[in-house]
Amino acid sequence: MREDVGMQSSPQAVPRLTRPTQGRVLAGVCRGIADHVGVDVRVVRILFIIVGMVSGAGIVAYLFLWAMTPVEETLGAGRPIDPAQPVSAQAQNPPSPERTGGTAMPRGSVLLAVGVLTILVGGIALLQGTGTDVRAGILLPVLLVAIGAVVAWAQLDATQRARWTGIAGWRGLGMARLAVGIGVVALGLFAFVTRGQSAAQVWDVALATLSILVGTALICAPFAVRLWSDFRREQDARVRETERADIAAHLHDGVLQTLALIQRGADDPAYVVTLARKQERELRSWLYGSNEDPSQTLAAAVTAAAAEVEDLHSVAIDVVVTGDRPLDEGGTALVRAVREALLNAVRHGSPPVSVYVEIGPDAVEAFVRDHGAGFDVDAVPHDRLGVRESILGRMTRHGGTARIRRREPGTEVILTMPHQEPDPDAAPRARARAGASSGASAPSAASAAAPAASDANGATTMNGAPRIPETAEPTTIQGESIR
Amino acid sequence: MTVRVVLVDDHHMFRTGVKTELLEAAPGVIDFVGEAANVEDAVAVIRKEEPDVVLLDVHLPGGTGHGGVDVIHGCVGVETAAGAPVRFLALSVSDAAEDVIAVIRAGARGYVTKTISATDLASAIKRVADGDAVFSPRLAGFVLDAFGVAAGEIAEVDEELDRLSAREREVMRLIARGYQYKEVAKELYISIKTVETHVSSVLRKLQLSSRHELTAWAMGRRLI
Repeated sequence: MREDVGMQSSPQAVPRLTRPTQGRVLAGVCRGIADHVGVDVRVVRILFIIVGMVSGAGIVAYLFLWAMTPVEETLGAGRPIDPAQPVSAQAQNPPSPERTGGTAMPRGSVLLAVGVLTILVGGIALLQGTGTDVRAGILLPVLLVAIGAVVAWAQLDATQRARWTGIAGWRGLGMARLAVGIGVVALGLFAFVTRGQSAAQVWDVALATLSILVGTALICAPFAVRLWSDFRREQDARVRETERADIAAHLHDGVLQTLALIQRGADDPAYVVTLARKQERELRSWLYGSNEDPSQTLAAAVTAAAAEVEDLHSVAIDVVVTGDRPLDEGGTALVRAVREALLNAVRHGSPPVSVYVEIGPDAVEAFVRDHGAGFDVDAVPHDRLGVRESILGRMTRHGGTARIRRREPGTEVILTMPHQEPDPDAAPRARARAGASSGASAPSAASAAAPAASDANGATTMNGAPRIPETAEPTTIQGESIR
Repeated sequence: MTVRVVLVDDHHMFRTGVKTELLEAAPGVIDFVGEAANVEDAVAVIRKEEPDVVLLDVHLPGGTGHGGVDVIHGCVGVETAAGAPVRFLALSVSDAAEDVIAVIRAGARGYVTKTISATDLASAIKRVADGDAVFSPRLAGFVLDAFGVAAGEIAEVDEELDRLSAREREVMRLIARGYQYKEVAKELYISIKTVETHVSSVLRKLQLSSRHELTAWAMGRRLI
């Protein structure tokens, strides 16, 4: 909710008029208006009720707005989000408690419906009692039709909502709701038509109406089909045109520019190789990539960091990432450490340089490998802070661990960073399968314990006197090893 | 024993380059018996020559438009003179998961990218000729992701098709980290033969598993 208030106070960020999927009682119209105008939702609701009670216009307005206002296209965040944006980015904003409260109490809606019905029936009975003719013969069927329509529409609305939220309800229940809605409408219509007439008469009328309807449909069908297919074709053509323009624009901005640069710099092989490699990566990520924002997800951040190092030093780096999660503080530290390790690998090691990052349910593990001569952590001069500070120190400060292993040939830097908080994005999947909800407490405990250790460590490293504990292999910077 | 190889790729320059590099890097190991630039020629050449290994590009003109997959389907049942089935090693620039999964599930014994060094390619060809599987780090990463290993899913019994066993997971992780088979063997204190068995078993799972996430993953992420 804090976020909504902030958005309302700034004049240029008025939310579009949409119907939120959460924090709503009926269809979210009042909540949507409240968010849009920037007033308390209760005020809007009371206004609607008063206007509805006095003249009925409120009810009509509500139904109209319900039909015309689009559903908010988010995963619970209090603002409309471009559907083209990655889902992981949207999942960054967990739904605020007040909003989720709305969906958590369907009993409230039921109570409300019962109350409204009671008032209606009571009102009718009262009017009847005072002698006013409310013409129940018309009113009741109309009421039935209205209720049935609302039930059916609500189902339509729910399916649409399910598409945005990705939470598919029970299909059978939805069908049942639709059937009940249609049934109630049919009953109302029947009651309306049979008012004071025999069933046989109604049957004749119904048959006549039906035949006219079928006849009209037969005549109109070819035209309708033609119109529809024309419309579709036109739409397809437009989509293709847009796509083509998009591709052309990309080729022009990227590939053609690079080719021009390569022709001009043909006498500098290193430059050409760098350009070609960069362009290849860009084209590849455009063709096969997920277009994730490096500032949002860990996998994208690692890939971006590797790309940056590759550009700086013209050494190819193989990047393999499994899993993904939103980028948090620990993740950022890990990415920086990975970047530093990659820089070391391309500077001092020799290719092939590879990085493998495994983003698991409890922790992230990263492995940076090169095939150079390898180096001894203890042999690194004390004034060189690259390895000790940027990799080992950084990981320890953020509650992770770093190990450096000598391989034959090359060096492997192994970084582990436990998740600092339960993963809002990937965790539901893991939790549902592995029951890992208890795993969240261990990493947080580890990260809480880490600052004390790192303070001591940081201070000693600054003095330069103490050496990193001398273990044979692997060199472990924290007492515990990874596995 | 030399390995008889047919090279299928629609780029003439690439075919020439691969041949030259391989003959230089591993002289006397590989015997190029034929090459083809499209699906129809490839099937004809493979049926005629009955090679040990086919180096297969994923994207090829001709056939029903499925490139390498069409070639594999067109050569079902073809055997070498020694009676072993003709084995396919996919070699591609494409990193798209749907390409990888399609060609592996069609029956390829391995998948390497065109950036592989000539020495590594030669040993990959040898390995495939011996009936083992070849996984690039990317393919290993893909397997780990698609089988939900990162999320902590581990098979209770090795025979389970939809999950990896703990050992297979370890092997895949090391391959994803860029380890050679012999390094994997040393790291896990097992023989190279055992590593090969594990990798072959993963390949089998990859080909036979009905795990829906394999396809969903490939379609959804379009990225290794």
